[in-house]
Amino acid sequence: MTETIENTRTRGHSEEPLLSVRDLTVTFTRQGEKPFVAVDGVSFDVRPGQTVGLVGESGCGKSVTSLAIMGLLPQRGVRVEGEVLYGGTNLLTQSKEQMRDRRGRDLGMIFQDPLSSLNPVVPIGVQVTEVLERHKGLSRKAATPLAREMLDKVGIPDPNRRLKDYPHQLSGGMRQRALIAMALACAPKVLIADEPTTALDVTIQAQILALLKELVEDSGTALVMITHDLGVVAGLVDRINVLYAGRIVERGDRHPLFAQPRHPYTHGLLSSIPRLDGERGTKLTPIPGSVSDNLPWANACAFAPRCSQPIDVCVEKTPEFVEDGPRALRCHNPVEVSR
Amino acid sequence: MTVSDEILVDVKDVKVHFPIKRGVIFDKTIGHVYAVDGVDLQIRKGETYGLVGESGCGKSTLGRAILNLEPPTSGSVEFDGIDIAALKGEELRHKRQDIQMVFQDPMGSLDPRQTVESLLLEGMKAHGLTKDEKQAATRLRDLLKAVGLPVAALKKYPHEFSGGQRQRIGIARALSVNPKLIVADEPVSALDVSVQAQVINLLEELQDEFGLTYLVVAHDLAVVRHISDRIGVMYLGAIAEEADAEDLYTKPLHPYTRALMSAVPVPDPLIEDRRERILLQGDLPSPANPPTGCRFHTRCPWRQDTKCDTERPQLRTLQIAGVPDSHRVACHWAEQIESGEVAMHTVKASLTSQTDHTSGGDDFLGPASVQEAL
Ligand SMILES: Nc1ncnc2c1ncn2[C@@H]1O[C@H](COP(=O)(O)OP(=O)(O)OP(=O)(O)O)[C@@H](O)[C@H]1O
Ligand SMILES: Nc1ncnc2c1ncn2[C@@H]1O[C@H](COP(=O)(O)OP(=O)(O)OP(=O)(O)O)[C@@H](O)[C@H]1O
Ligand code: SF4
Ligand code: SF4
Ligand SMILES: [Mg+2]
Ligand SMILES: [Mg+2]
Repeated sequence: MTETIENTRTRGHSEEPLLSVRDLTVTFTRQGEKPFVAVDGVSFDVRPGQTVGLVGESGCGKSVTSLAIMGLLPQRGVRVEGEVLYGGTNLLTQSKEQMRDRRGRDLGMIFQDPLSSLNPVVPIGVQVTEVLERHKGLSRKAATPLAREMLDKVGIPDPNRRLKDYPHQLSGGMRQRALIAMALACAPKVLIADEPTTALDVTIQAQILALLKELVEDSGTALVMITHDLGVVAGLVDRINVLYAGRIVERGDRHPLFAQPRHPYTHGLLSSIPRLDGERGTKLTPIPGSVSDNLPWANACAFAPRCSQPIDVCVEKTPEFVEDGPRALRCHNPVEVSR
Repeated sequence: MTVSDEILVDVKDVKVHFPIKRGVIFDKTIGHVYAVDGVDLQIRKGETYGLVGESGCGKSTLGRAILNLEPPTSGSVEFDGIDIAALKGEELRHKRQDIQMVFQDPMGSLDPRQTVESLLLEGMKAHGLTKDEKQAATRLRDLLKAVGLPVAALKKYPHEFSGGQRQRIGIARALSVNPKLIVADEPVSALDVSVQAQVINLLEELQDEFGLTYLVVAHDLAVVRHISDRIGVMYLGAIAEEADAEDLYTKPLHPYTRALMSAVPVPDPLIEDRRERILLQGDLPSPANPPTGCRFHTRCPWRQDTKCDTERPQLRTLQIAGVPDSHRVACHWAEQIESGEVAMHTVKASLTSQTDHTSGGDDFLGPASVQEAL
């Protein structure tokens, strides 16, 4: 067990990053409103075959980060700064057409709500073949058997018949499988999955996560897993980034991060979640306040109003993001390492 | 909180079937959704009963049937020894006061045009609990204090609060009429992860303080295990297994409970790396067309050739050493599965489509592995 974990980790370190997000900042500038910084200087790397988690609560900027990487943010009313480097190219400076070509071919994406990301009036078979036609230049005829094979791979029973089905004829779990088939049809190097199982039941979630894990392991596709559920990343990803109010506050490989959370937010989240295997009768330790109780990051730590151990400097100075190998932390007064 | 032996809620063979209608001119009933299809359960005074199961299994409908918000198609619900369905007028109004509900979506269940004060006073007035203004004001303060909101909240409107605070208002409203039983339907699932624990702790504290009995309906087994004394696991309209929370966790005996428990992710890599998952194949069948015999037989990894697809298993106590009578299981083969006589095998998945209920029935042995192509 531990051996395979070490392997994935060293594999992750040895190669150059495939995707490198540098100081990504996304500001919504709606007319008549104060500019709103949804993503604030986010940086992380994804190496070949690595799985990277972005974890955080509602509104912390997970989806905006993934949309910015994919070039899917609206053109108006948004300012995107920083760099998204893929094979030496900054994707943020690419044209709409260039990005359309890359989506599906270089970068695949799976969204939370499979129904809204599938075309309701086109049979799923056609939707999968279209991806192959567009990116591989195949004819409809040549693409169809590949599409069938793809549906089969993602575990859709009776794929011949299902090719003709419309999205509404499939259950939530099957739709998500169809979407995975579309995203992986052209073997992208990086797959971004934004809450791919949040809308699903837990037994179906287990099926989909097992499928994703197997697919990325076998194909060498790098996976960026976005979720609010620490349980989902615990067994799946190599490295975890914890986001709070648009910034990464802690990063670490999954074993050390869960064993020794250093940021009071990560630590607080882990002690507030009821665990299936938890001691019954012990009280949970909640994080006080709510997600909207944030200070601006300028001249403060945004988490200070909810923090269990703030010190004076926390409301005077922005904590820097200090990196120490795979581990990184943004905090003036981190949780002590207990032995 | 001490749980007494006195039964507060007695649910006897309750069924709730919704007619499926078709036709433009004539409303023809072409079938039924068997949302709740024969449930027996008892809730004792002072305990928390957790009802858990996946989407569409009938948890909310059962909760509503217990409140008589959804009159059962058949069966009965006794509250404090009285059949609620038989009550009328003043008597019914009085009993209604004893049973309150807390909803999943705190925003949707609070009238956005009413201040918190007027939301809280509404129920108290309806049940004659406000003798004079001074007494009402004291009571409002006490309620807010109990749920951890500042007095200033009284003059505000629901949209001025965060999700967790709104859920506190929902709980204060339920408490305002001194209920005996609170039915909470997914009380934390709409809340942010960091806020859920606040509401879970609050529910626990209020139970101790006011001697409340809870029925908590939720899909999250970890939450349910944390707060419940007893747990009923539902699958397609029926209870598959019922036990004390600790017994259910340490010794799940129904194949569905085993699969459900193994699917719940635990935020701990050490545990996740060692876990054996029982991956169920296929989807939940439609409650409009439930499988024959054992409802779980289309997905059960322990299914046997006899009984499983023909006889519906009843919830029963088992003759297994160390398993108390309070632990009941609806599976024909529970003893043999526990002893290892009946072993797990691969399931032939059948496909449940959203529009038709015929099954594909392909041989489908787990997710196909990807070798080439990708
Ligand atoms: N098009 C938009 N215009 C203005 N603000 C936006 C827009 N899209 C997102 N935001 C804001 O940016 C912030 C980050 O949103 P984002 O969707 O990335 O959150 P998230 O982490 O994905 O949350 P969730 O878990 O709820 O999906 C939020 O405060 C959101 O309201
Ligand atoms: N008023 C109604 N008319 C017809 N069908 C209904 C009605 N209410 C519920 N149903 C159906 O009954 C079944 C059980 O629904 P219910 O809401 O009780 O499930 P649940 O277990 O609470 O699910 P969830 O976790 O999604 O809330 C579902 O198939 C649902 O579509
Ligand atoms: S910087 Fe200060 S307020 Fe922010 S998390 Fe660290 S200790 Fe808490
Ligand atoms: S009765 Fe048969 S199908 Fe049902 S749970 Fe038991 S073994 Fe499985
Ligand atoms: Mg999102
Ligand atoms: Mg429900």
